[in-house]
Amino acid sequence: MIGAAALERVLAGHESGAWAEEALRALDDREDFPADAVAVLDDAGLAASYVLTPDRDFPALVALIRTVARRDLTVAIAHGKTFLGSVPVWIAGSPEQTRELAERVREGHPVCWGLTERDHGSDLLAGELTATGEENGGWRLDGEKWLINNAGRARLGCVLARTDPAGGSRGFGLFLVDRDRLPPGAWQVLPKVRTHGIRGADISGFVLHGAQVPADALIGGPGDGIALVLKSLQLTRTACVGLSLGAADHALRLTRDFVTRRELYGRRLGSLPHVRRILGRAAAAVLTAEAVSILATRSVHALPGELSVTSAIAKAYVPTTVQDTLGRLAEVLGVRGFLTTPPGGGFAKLERDHRICAIFDGSTVVNRTALLTQTPRLGRLLRRGSADTRGVRAAADPSLPPAPLDPARLTLVSATGCSVVQSLPAAVEEIRAQGHPRLTALAEAVLERCGELAADLADFVPVGGGLPSTAFTLAERYERLYAASACLHLFLSQAGRPAAAPDDDAHRLRACLAHLLDLPDDPAYDELAQTLLDWAGPAFSLLDGAP
Amino acid sequence: MTPVVPERVAALDRLLGDPADPANPVGTRAVLDADERGEMPTAGERALDAYGLNAEFVPPEYGGRLTRADHLVEVMRTVYRRDPVLGLGYGASSFIAGVNVWTAAGTEQATRVADLLLGGHRVAVAFHELAHGNDMTGTEFTAAADGAHLRLSGRKEVVTNISRAKALVVLARTDPRPGPRSHSLVLVDRTALPGDGIRDLPRFGTVGMRGIQLGGLEFDAVRVPRTAVLGPVGSGLETALKALQITRTTLPAMASGVLDTALRTAVGHLSSRTLYGGPAIGIPHVRSVLAGVFADLLRAEAVGAVGTRALHLVPQSASVYSAVVKYTVSKLLLDAVDRLAELLGAHFYLREGPSAIFQKLLRDLAPVGFGHIARAACQMSLLPQLPLLARRSWTGGAPAPDALFALDADLPALRYDRLALQAAGRDPLAASLAAALDGPWDGACRQVRAVAEADLAELGALARACAALPVTEWGVDASPATYDLADRYSTLLTRVCCLQIQRHTTDPFLAGPAWTLAAAHRTRRPSPLPRPVEDALFDELLARHRDHRSFGLAARPLLHREENTR
Repeated sequence: MIGAAALERVLAGHESGAWAEEALRALDDREDFPADAVAVLDDAGLAASYVLTPDRDFPALVALIRTVARRDLTVAIAHGKTFLGSVPVWIAGSPEQTRELAERVREGHPVCWGLTERDHGSDLLAGELTATGEENGGWRLDGEKWLINNAGRARLGCVLARTDPAGGSRGFGLFLVDRDRLPPGAWQVLPKVRTHGIRGADISGFVLHGAQVPADALIGGPGDGIALVLKSLQLTRTACVGLSLGAADHALRLTRDFVTRRELYGRRLGSLPHVRRILGRAAAAVLTAEAVSILATRSVHALPGELSVTSAIAKAYVPTTVQDTLGRLAEVLGVRGFLTTPPGGGFAKLERDHRICAIFDGSTVVNRTALLTQTPRLGRLLRRGSADTRGVRAAADPSLPPAPLDPARLTLVSATGCSVVQSLPAAVEEIRAQGHPRLTALAEAVLERCGELAADLADFVPVGGGLPSTAFTLAERYERLYAASACLHLFLSQAGRPAAAPDDDAHRLRACLAHLLDLPDDPAYDELAQTLLDWAGPAFSLLDGAP
Repeated sequence: MTPVVPERVAALDRLLGDPADPANPVGTRAVLDADERGEMPTAGERALDAYGLNAEFVPPEYGGRLTRADHLVEVMRTVYRRDPVLGLGYGASSFIAGVNVWTAAGTEQATRVADLLLGGHRVAVAFHELAHGNDMTGTEFTAAADGAHLRLSGRKEVVTNISRAKALVVLARTDPRPGPRSHSLVLVDRTALPGDGIRDLPRFGTVGMRGIQLGGLEFDAVRVPRTAVLGPVGSGLETALKALQITRTTLPAMASGVLDTALRTAVGHLSSRTLYGGPAIGIPHVRSVLAGVFADLLRAEAVGAVGTRALHLVPQSASVYSAVVKYTVSKLLLDAVDRLAELLGAHFYLREGPSAIFQKLLRDLAPVGFGHIARAACQMSLLPQLPLLARRSWTGGAPAPDALFALDADLPALRYDRLALQAAGRDPLAASLAAALDGPWDGACRQVRAVAEADLAELGALARACAALPVTEWGVDASPATYDLADRYSTLLTRVCCLQIQRHTTDPFLAGPAWTLAAAHRTRRPSPLPRPVEDALFDELLARHRDHRSFGLAARPLLHREENTR
């Protein structure tokens, strides 16, 4: 499998060709599919990394997605869709199904993920596309899927279909539909849908007209569809963080370039204290998103039984945080963030493109709802303070090789809650012992918030008929605690760190905690702003030497 | 007493027709098509020609209808509600140019510009240079003396209508030395110019306002008569900064029309959609977000209304209030549209279908934050005024007249010569808070009174912090903590605007406490509104949606299909 650094070199090598910023912008303008840029990814063998064999390194896959997204989100989303569409087979496919799909994916055949329908959006249980069993053991699929990425280009589609007319959580099955084996007209592609961002992407839908598929198109059992989708989403939602981190890298780079060159009122913009605070907070927000991403992607290996919680947190927190950050940076960029021709850079496009990240594969509200359904248990376990500390250590130490991927360990509900959050008090205890006064003060403040949330969760009872907004505030607070704990654990795990590192050495962590505490001002913001101005690598990262 | 919404708005609405009618050449369909092509909507421009929109920008002494800034805002809201591109591209940019002329020019020049506008032509305001942005003192474009002439050289960039304008108001350097009196405004009559020496720069592409003709010009020693200077030589920055007080107040106020349509689009979509077995609009979280956005729209309009009336009533303080309006209203509008986008989910992302206008509104609204003058520049402009405001007004200054808050009260004429570069500590709006607390209170408004008391305490705390600010904290190098003081002060004023309008209104809904309490709640903590407040707002929102009334302070009837067919 190609690594992120190697992929970065490949893309840099095409900077004057298919990956030229100007070329990608022109495609976006004309709403043309970035076929040449996708071909470069195919030639580099990126698709092979979408095949989830047990030896796969999930964080490395997400680093690849980030590498592509940093240059162009439209391409990253268009290409990465194949991963989303094939995950159900990696989780529940028979050895034969897995082998065949792996072969097709490696060959570069796009796979689409057919879940949503025109009138039902995220309400999957309302899906109307039907699968009817036939005498030969095969199935006949009829109905429409809409707002499907790669609906036109896909050679295979992973389609959720109603197998029981009565529906319900056991009334749907997932089918891997091979378009190459359907008669013409059975898979009718709907017209391209014109979108706000990712304008060049192949977003449309398809109608299946009596599409006959063999018995082995069914993934798992005929009533397994919903459960399998929910497990698949645990992996796809976790992978999506790479898209947001790439967009954040891109936006931070454009902003850094602007403020280091721009002069206003006789000053360099990047030297103004007020601007530096905006930059420092933006950088801190991005680093917290990265910390969540690192812990969540490593949890795929280290804490797979908790992914129902972790993936919801990551998919809610990371795109939302990055989108907010883009808003702050847009204000610094002013008219340059609005212009699509020079001196405007790629900011306007990436901002438009990124807005889809908080919508697809489960919007922020959908993910917070998913998290809230588990809050009674999460609250209990938080108050009790139990945690899988070994799992947390493995998830928080990027230098450790990941444990083998085992989809069988995915569950719909986490029996152990969320160990990362539940081990926050232990992390704060360790920080205290390290003797950084400023860092300790911030960590204590986080711990106080943790106690408050634990108490507030005890009063919360999920009710039918939709959750109130107050509940979503609880979810958001829980996400912040996860982010804080992720930052602390990452800091503690960094090998080679002298036990008594000077306090200013921890400025990245301090800025992250200050941001998560929503402190309007903290000296660490200014220090982190300088780090951003001095930053040279492709990724703006907590981890030294990140690709 | 005068109506909040001038009667002529209904005539404009009729000319623009039913937005939902696909056959209407000025309807939403046509507006979206023009946006896709990146063009000004031609039928829309013709309709505004027919209405004579430019007359709204011309003072009555020159034959126009610009008698009241609040009426101008209501007229322009009607345009922004249909299409922000028409609002800015047909009208607001000529208005900005005009205000500079009315502020500085002699009768002859003003008459010339008025005649151009009344003849349906555009006038562009050519201040902006990419290298300097909001820093007008950095302007490089020169007007060099050459006998009875000036020679203009340099570039103006990202300027609306610069190519098609019949006249330009250019900010040019007339003195190479640094300082506030080194620039002049020059009225450039393009019809009187030789063709050579001026080069059109390529049009700038933008993500929103795509139809706007955003261009640039490069001048190479172009000769204009010395009489083209507006006001005394060297007065350019002063004039620009005074005129800016009018424009940075009224433009954000007009832009609330964008949020009005965005909110209507969202309510319409969510009312018609079924999710999880029920109507989406009944989902508790959806209700909360919509009620919150509605409250923010009302607050934005309250701030805009007080700021606009202040131009007439307390112009000597407009340097402060205009900065507060731009800083707070733009942010309220931008954040509100973002919240609605989250509610709409994938339907926000589509450029087709019944909610297609939404994504255009979101793109078109962006310049309200940085366009004309940036929010951050407005925040910065408050810093040097804070100490004097704190000392002279925040603990016992002269309160504002009631007419500042009684939206149907008459207004004196706009006096451009009363605008001042700084308020000299006069802050009748903030001072009105203590006066309100001293006055009689309706017993039913106990909660509102508690808000006002908390605000008075906050004003006292701000006064202590700001009175002592050293001069090093008055400028661009100020610490973030000082910027935060300007933010707290601005936010406090938004609450005072709501409170005072509530106390002076005759409208039954606005006289109720819900929207004022919502304003207080939403500026103090990020949690959802208390249930009774949310219910009152949500019920009003749905009632207005059902009755086809606008969501802003005026709650005015909007043109809709049934009315057409009747």
